[in-house]
This record gives sequence, C-alpha cells and structure tokens, in this order.
Amino acid sequence: MVVLAHQAPSVAQRCKDAGAVAAIALLLGIPMLGLTTVDQGGSLLVATRWPTLAIFVALCFAGRLLARYAIDALQARARRRPAATLLRPGARHQLSLWLGWGCFGVALALPFVFSDNRYIVDTATTVLIYVMLGWGLNVVVGLAGLLDLGYVAFYAVGAYAYAVLSTQFGWGFWQALPVAGGLAASFGLLLGWPTLRLRGDYLAIVTLGFGEIVRIILVNWTALSGGPNGIASIPRPSFFGLPFKPGDDSATFAGFFGLDFSPLHRLIFLYYLILALAMLTNLFVSRLRRLPIGRAWEAMREDEIACKAMGMNVTNVKLSAFAIGAMLGGLAGVFFAARQGFISPESFTFNESAIILAIVVLGGMGSQLGVVLASLVLVLLPELGRDFAEYRMLLFGTAMILIMIWRPGGILSQRQPTLRHRAEAGAAP
Amino acid sequence: MALALQQLINGLTLGAVYGLIAIGYTMVYGIIGMINFAHGDIYMVSAFISVTAFTLLAALGVSSVPLALVTVLLVSVLFTSVYGWAVERTAYRPLRGSTRLAPLISAIGMSIFLQNMVQLTQGARVKPIPPVLVGGFDLLTVDGFTVHLAYSQLLIVVVTVFLMAAFTYLLSQTSFGRQQRACEQDRLMTSLLGINVDRTISLTFMLGAMLAAVAGVLVTVYYGVVDFYIGFVVGIKAFTAAVLGGIGSFPGAMLGGVLIGLIEAFWSAYLAPEYKDVATFAILILVLMFRPSGLLGRPEVEKV
Amino acid sequence: MRKKLLLAGFSLLACAASAVHADHLVAIAGPMTGQYASAGDQIRKGAEMAIADINAKGGVLGQKIKLEVGDDACDPKQAVSVANAMINKKIVFMHGHWCSSSTIPASDVYNESQIVMATVSTNPQVTERGLKNIFRINGRDDQQGQVAGAYLADHFKGKKIAVVDDKSAYGKGLADEIAKAIEAKKVKVALRESITAGEKDYSGLVSKLKSAGVEVMAYGGYHTEVALILRQAQQAGLKLTVMGGDTMTNSELVTAAGANADNVLFTFVPDPRKNPGSADIVKRFRDAKIEPEGYVMYAYAAMQLFAQAAEQAKSTKYADLEKAMRGGAFDTVLGKLSFDAKGDNKLPGFVVYQWKGGKYDYVGK
Repeated sequence: MVVLAHQAPSVAQRCKDAGAVAAIALLLGIPMLGLTTVDQGGSLLVATRWPTLAIFVALCFAGRLLARYAIDALQARARRRPAATLLRPGARHQLSLWLGWGCFGVALALPFVFSDNRYIVDTATTVLIYVMLGWGLNVVVGLAGLLDLGYVAFYAVGAYAYAVLSTQFGWGFWQALPVAGGLAASFGLLLGWPTLRLRGDYLAIVTLGFGEIVRIILVNWTALSGGPNGIASIPRPSFFGLPFKPGDDSATFAGFFGLDFSPLHRLIFLYYLILALAMLTNLFVSRLRRLPIGRAWEAMREDEIACKAMGMNVTNVKLSAFAIGAMLGGLAGVFFAARQGFISPESFTFNESAIILAIVVLGGMGSQLGVVLASLVLVLLPELGRDFAEYRMLLFGTAMILIMIWRPGGILSQRQPTLRHRAEAGAAP
Repeated sequence: MALALQQLINGLTLGAVYGLIAIGYTMVYGIIGMINFAHGDIYMVSAFISVTAFTLLAALGVSSVPLALVTVLLVSVLFTSVYGWAVERTAYRPLRGSTRLAPLISAIGMSIFLQNMVQLTQGARVKPIPPVLVGGFDLLTVDGFTVHLAYSQLLIVVVTVFLMAAFTYLLSQTSFGRQQRACEQDRLMTSLLGINVDRTISLTFMLGAMLAAVAGVLVTVYYGVVDFYIGFVVGIKAFTAAVLGGIGSFPGAMLGGVLIGLIEAFWSAYLAPEYKDVATFAILILVLMFRPSGLLGRPEVEKV
Repeated sequence: MRKKLLLAGFSLLACAASAVHADHLVAIAGPMTGQYASAGDQIRKGAEMAIADINAKGGVLGQKIKLEVGDDACDPKQAVSVANAMINKKIVFMHGHWCSSSTIPASDVYNESQIVMATVSTNPQVTERGLKNIFRINGRDDQQGQVAGAYLADHFKGKKIAVVDDKSAYGKGLADEIAKAIEAKKVKVALRESITAGEKDYSGLVSKLKSAGVEVMAYGGYHTEVALILRQAQQAGLKLTVMGGDTMTNSELVTAAGANADNVLFTFVPDPRKNPGSADIVKRFRDAKIEPEGYVMYAYAAMQLFAQAAEQAKSTKYADLEKAMRGGAFDTVLGKLSFDAKGDNKLPGFVVYQWKGGKYDYVGK
C-alpha cells in the first residue's frame, strides 16, 4: 500500500515501497517470465529464464523508486503553486476552437505536402475513417449516454450495402451513399427498439451481441455477402463520373485535367472525400447539439428520470440517437468498402467496436476535437509501432491504460465545470 | 435420446466452466459496477500457468494424478490471484471515482496487454499437455451410440458444485462476506463504518481470479490445449452468462453459465452449429426484453 | 531487430567490399504477429536464407537484394496499410501476403502501383480477378479439394464421410471443393457442418459425428481445430480419420494432438524437401537449425523466382519483370516453375500425405 504522506518519505520507506513492488513483480514474473514451456519433438519441456526474471524484477524496483521520486517532486511543486487558478470561462472553448481549425488546416494541406508519399496519405485516410466513426458513436455514447459495444454492426451494414448495391446492381458511390446510410439507420432502430428498457451494462452486452449476430450472419449468408470470402472488386468512386484510369482522352480524371496519370490521384481524392464526409458529420452533429434533440440527448444522459418527469418522450430520444449514430457509422462503412475494394467479415469484429469506443472515451466523452486527437493516437500508435514489431500491441494496450489513468475524463472533456482547480485536475491547458 | 443425454453432459460441463468465470464478472460488477473485460484473460493466464505446472510436475516424475491435480490447482490459484490483484491495483484503482466508462476502456487495454504479454513470453504456438485424466464411464448404449461421461467432465462438475457451496458459505456467513455485501450496497457508508473498502475490493478481485484459475486448470485438463487467444471467446460467453443470470447475482451467474452451456450444446447437436452464437445472443436479448435485470437480478430501484 | 542483425551478418559474410549501390528492395508480408504468427515466421526464415544465398553469389544484376518485412496479422485493413508502406519504400517485388483475405485487397494496391507479387494464398479468387501483377507459386484450393475428395471417395468406400469447415475463406472454399469432388464420384456426403474457429469446445460436433456413424471427416480449416476435434473424439470414444489441406503441414498439429495426429491425412504440393535438386539447400536449412517445412521453401523459391526473372529481363522494372515471369521458366527449389495466363503455376498438383510419428510423408509410405 502506498502512503501519500505530505512530508517527504525517508529513503528506507522508499526502498520498502519499491521492495514491495519488486516482490509483486517477482510473483507475477515467475510463471510468465521465469518459466516457459518449449516444444521439444512433440512434447513440452519446461525452460527457465531466471536472468530475464531477475532483470525484470530489478527494473521494477528501480522504476518504482524513480517514479515515486518524480511523482513526489511534481506533487511538491504543485503544492507550492497558488492553490487555485481560475480559468476564464471562455478560454478553454477558445483554445479548442483554435486547435480544431488548426487540425483542419493541417488536414487540408497534408496531401500537398506529402503528395508523393502514399503511405502517409493512406494512413491519414484511415485516421479520418476513425474520426468519422468516433463522431458517429459520440452521438450514442458521448451525448445520449447509451453504452454501445456493437457499433461495428452499422459500419458493416453500410459497407456491405454499398458492396452489394455496386457489384450486384451497378449502383454508383453517390447513389448508394444515402441508401446505405438509411439502411444503417433502420438497423439502429432495430437494435434500439428491444433495448429501450435496458440500462447501462445490460445495454452494453445486448449491443455487443447484436454486433456479433450481424457478423455471424454475414459469415454464413453466402448468397448475399459472399460468406467468409467477402466481396471483392468493389468499384472505386469516380471523380464526378471521371474514373481514375490511365489514358489521355478526356474521359478519365488525368486526361480531363491534362495531368500525367498517377495512382496517387485516386488516393488523394479518397482522402479529400473522407475529409469532406467527416467535416459534414462534424457540422451535422454540432448543429444537432444546439437543437432541442441534442439538448434532449444530453439531458437524458444526465438524468433519465428527470427527463421523464419533464414529460419528454424518452423512447424517441433514445431511438433518434441510435438511428443517427448508426447512419453515420453506415456512411463511414460505405467509404471503407469503396476505399478497400474488398470487404470480408474479418474487418468487422468486436475488436473494431472496442477501438471505436476507446476513441470516444479517450477523446473525452462528447468532445468533437477529442475524438480527432484520440483517433490520431490510436491509429498512429500501432503504425509507428511497426518498428517495435512484436511489442507493438503490447505497447498499444499499455498506452490505453496509461492515457486513461493520466486523464480519466479523456484527453479533452466537455463535461468539466468552467471553474477549475488546477492542482486537482492535473495539467490545465 | 442417447444424443440428448450426451449433450446434456457436455452442456453441463461447458456451462460449469462458463459459470465459474461468470462469477468473477458478477462479483466485480456487484462491488464497483464495472465490466472487467480483462477477466477472460486472467483465465487464460491461469491456463498457461497450469500447463507449465503440469509439465514441471511430469518432469519431476509426479505420477499420481490426484496429487498432480491438487498441486496444480494450488499453484495456479496462488499465482493467478496475484494477477487479479495486480490488474485491479494498476489499471482500475487509479480510476475509482471517475466516469463509468474510464475503467471499461482501461480494462480493454489491460486485456490487449495480457494477451500480448503471454504471446511474447510464452510464444504464439498452442500449448498442449498429454491427457491427464483418461477414460470415463459408458452410461448406456442406444442404437450403437454410447453415452460417455469422461472422468474429466465429472471432475469439472464436482469441483464446481463444491466451489459453489464454499462461496455461498463465504459470502453469506463470514465477516468478509458481510463486508463484501456492504460494499456492494453503499461504499461510502461502509467506509464510514470502519471497513477497509479498498481491501475488500482487492479481495473480491482476487476471489474472482481464483475461480477463473480453477476454471483454467479444469479446462486445461479437459481440452488439453491452450493458446493465448482462449480468454477472449470464453470471456464474452461468461460475461453473457453473468448478464443473463442477472449481473451482480451470485447464483444468477451460475444459472446463466449452465443455461448458455446447454443452449450451445443442444443447438450445435440438433440445429445449425454455425448459428450457435446467434442463438445464444438472441435468447439473451429476448430474456432481457421481458426481464431487464436478467433472470435472478434484482430489479433496479429508480431513485429520484 | 534480430532480423536486421541477422541480415547484417549475412551481408557481412557475403559482401566482398563491393561498391555502394542502391540495393534491390524486395519484401515479404504475412502474419508476423497474431494467431497465425508461426506461418509468418516460416516465410521470414525462408526469405532470409534465400537472400543471403543470392547475395553470396553476387546478387541480382550486379546489386544486392535487401529484405523488408511487413506484418499484416492476417487483418485485411492492415494488409492494405502494409502494401502502401511497402510501395512507399519503393520495393520491386513482393512475396505475400499469406492469408487470402489479406492478399486480395493488398493485390489491388500493388497492381495500381505496378509491383509484381508472388503469393502462396490458395483461394481461387486471388488469380481470378484479371490482375496482371500476381503470380501464385503454390496450388489452388479447388485443385486441392479435387485431389482430397477423389482420394476419400476411392479409399474409404462404404464408410460415412463428413465434410466440415471453419467458416474461414480458406476453409470453406476447400471444404466446398472436397464435397463437390466426393459427390462427383457418386459417393454421398453423410454430414456437412461448419464450426467456429478459435473455440475450444467441439463436443457438439463430435457427438453429432458419432451419432451419424461417421468415420472419416474431411476438414477445411487450420490445424489447431483439428487437434482439438481429434482429442475430443478420442475422449468420446470415436475413432476418426481426418483429411485436411495444406495447413496440416504445421508441426503444431502433432504437438497438440499427440498420437492422434497419425489419423490425419492431408493434401499438399509435392514436398520440396524431396526434390533432388534442393537437397543441399535443405541441408543448409537444417544446419542452421531451421526445419524447411511448410512455407519456408516457398519463400525461398519466391526469392529465386525474382532473382532469375530479373536476370532474364535484365531489369527490375515492372513491365519487364512481369513479362519475364509470365513467359519464362525458372529453376527453383520447388522444381521448374512457370505460369499460365492467369498467373497460376503449372507445377504438378497436389499429393496426399499422412502424419506418422511426428513426420509427414506421402500416404502409404
């Protein structure tokens, strides 16, 4: 147990504390680091790695000692500061506004700066897909306070709707977009209706189950979805009728604008497409928040009973949140299918739902800008981590825990009071 | 008829395992109201510990099956409960008192961490042990189909029933049980009465981990093959079981586990096994539509 | 990091202080992490050895080859990301990906940027989409299924045969082909089932097989589930023979299923280890403590394919390389490799193997 005494602890106390951590590390390490089983000609043998374990325990001891010193020093400094700093009520808002426009500017300029780097443009496209999904889920979780662990179902509905409509019926991207969005929204209603009476975590498991049901049906309904084979050769969106193909005639994008053909044109076009879709989503959601329906969502999140007492129709409020969130997820799905050119049920697993939810929560529930920052973190971390090869996902999991502990309310939280106590809230902007 | 009896046996065995793990979800939910997504991975860790322990015992020349089983159970329960404690201490306790979703995300992070930690330290390959308990009873034969009850299945059911009885006693009769239930009702009031709430929560996590550890050992004996991915699938099923039975309810978790085990066993024997999970979740949704707090859950009282 | 050190070691051994050229960058991609990491590991080992050998002989067109490794964890989304990253590094040749569901979306990206790829993905769709840049150096699931199905129908007359798959793109494709081939021989498939991969409890399937009196199960899917099914069948007192596909080459099957593995038959291309021309390469793999099983030799052959095609074309440009591969014939550890118009290879098809005492060999030997 760690005692947070106000006077600095003695060296002996510190060593005792670090010793306790090292002892726990030893217990944790013995079965995983100290011992392992190796395959020796068809049967297992136990192998020992005591030196590795010793290094691990020593690192834990030293790490704990240093971390405590650092934390104590920081806390001592925080105490010396004036007890409370009042932030001007508008300052935070102003700041996030600037930050938001800054992000938008960077996003607009990115393809020009990296016009020959398809990896960066492509990764940025992935980030934007998650931003859009995050904003969609934010309506359900962040604003309406309904915990949804099966959001990927709507993403899948949108993606498959476009894939089927385009490969079977020859629909174009722009024709399919509203239809797929509408279909996803009706799935949102379908999920919302039986769950109206449920609260909190009961809702969570039902939505999780719903996501799984949709995925399993996609795997098994071979006639519609191609089953595990997925749907391949999904047509890519064209530039208002001009396809991205090599050729000099004016019927292709490159020919029409007199450019040399480059596969990057489509990539950059897709990037701007998702940027536009994401910004429309942002605009749509921010407007909704100022309308009665948005106010109703937030009111319901804060206190459902009070809402009922005020005579609000909670059923409609919930269903509208589900439907609008689902529609946005479906639109993102359409784009995903168009970009990938191939979709299969493997892209719509529970892990995907978990990542999207993590984006909303890490970003700060209800914060639009927070979603952007969290998507950046969660998409770029595994990509940057490619250099760490097998340690990549381990670091990813650790980062999720650390960010949550560092800022339990999310990177940017909209539900903070405007008057803040600097010492208790940690680093203020 | 014979097939039905066989599937009843298989389903009860599977359900007992789900139930043991579901109790961990339910106890944690009851006391701090969070879904411990890493619980399935705690079970996975215990399965790896028991593989190592079995292999070590075999190398040391322990040939008595009961002795080996008891030793492995003790070792696995000990180490796994430390894991349970450490997970709570590092990932959840710092988030106590923050929003409801913060620990959930932290738990998802912990689950990713544990899976990859085991993959890195123990390898991505599946880990098998040679059959520990071989054989069983042939109960009856109808039309050439013999209903078989393996010793390992009997072991799972017996151990589970014993643990149920022990835990019921622990929670209803001992002072820890009273503290635990008090914390469930009102943590602030409990702490005012001089009960160490943090300690009670830690102990709850350790108890949940112990049950998961027992499940891990039993599954290792029963299936004989373990890999770093097993925690996820079973975790979701066990969580479903906990909710079906009414989350927070101790007998509910067991009931939910057994029900899901039976649904899976009968569905895959008589109907399309590829829609087995659809059936499980559909039944869950149906039950929750009519009983929003699960089968044995207390209806939530709406306080204004 | 270890990989880089190894590579550095190899190139140090090989390097005769040649002038600093821009190397030919070639890449492999596959599941280096995740559930199927052991396959990725095999690919990497094979490719590393091949590149060390090629560089020791002076490289390709007077320049060294350098290897890039991409990890897609068998996730289609990551596969596209890996493809873009690799194109950005200006690779001239790709060996990968491994999972069909990763190869298909990634191949579109490579095709767009004009990069030649040689894959071991077995789904027919891989080469059926009219892409010019993709070559397959092993067999297709439909050929594989025909061989397996015909063998079952001929050798297990009068026994009840069940066909089971794991609902993966690979498994279902294979199982469907096996079922078709069995029925083409006028034999009835007694039971057609699907299971969910990644679970541990298959007692429902086992009971069903038992009550239907099935003795032979054709299985489309991965080895892990086969091991579990065999163990649970033995526990339930059911003696089961299994016929699987190329994934059964993984020695994990033996580790997990124990003696039950001797009941496993599977189809695989003729074992490259038995190729007389590749004996010394097999020996060098074994000297380096690598068993050249599964995809090791394929990765080796893919690198040979690239080196020889580039030499024949006198260039590593896409158009030249593609033309050389489509038209030429190549001496690889797999034998004489040449391709048809779709990009499928013309090597002799599949043979039936059986596990015995921890090793696999042609059935009946």
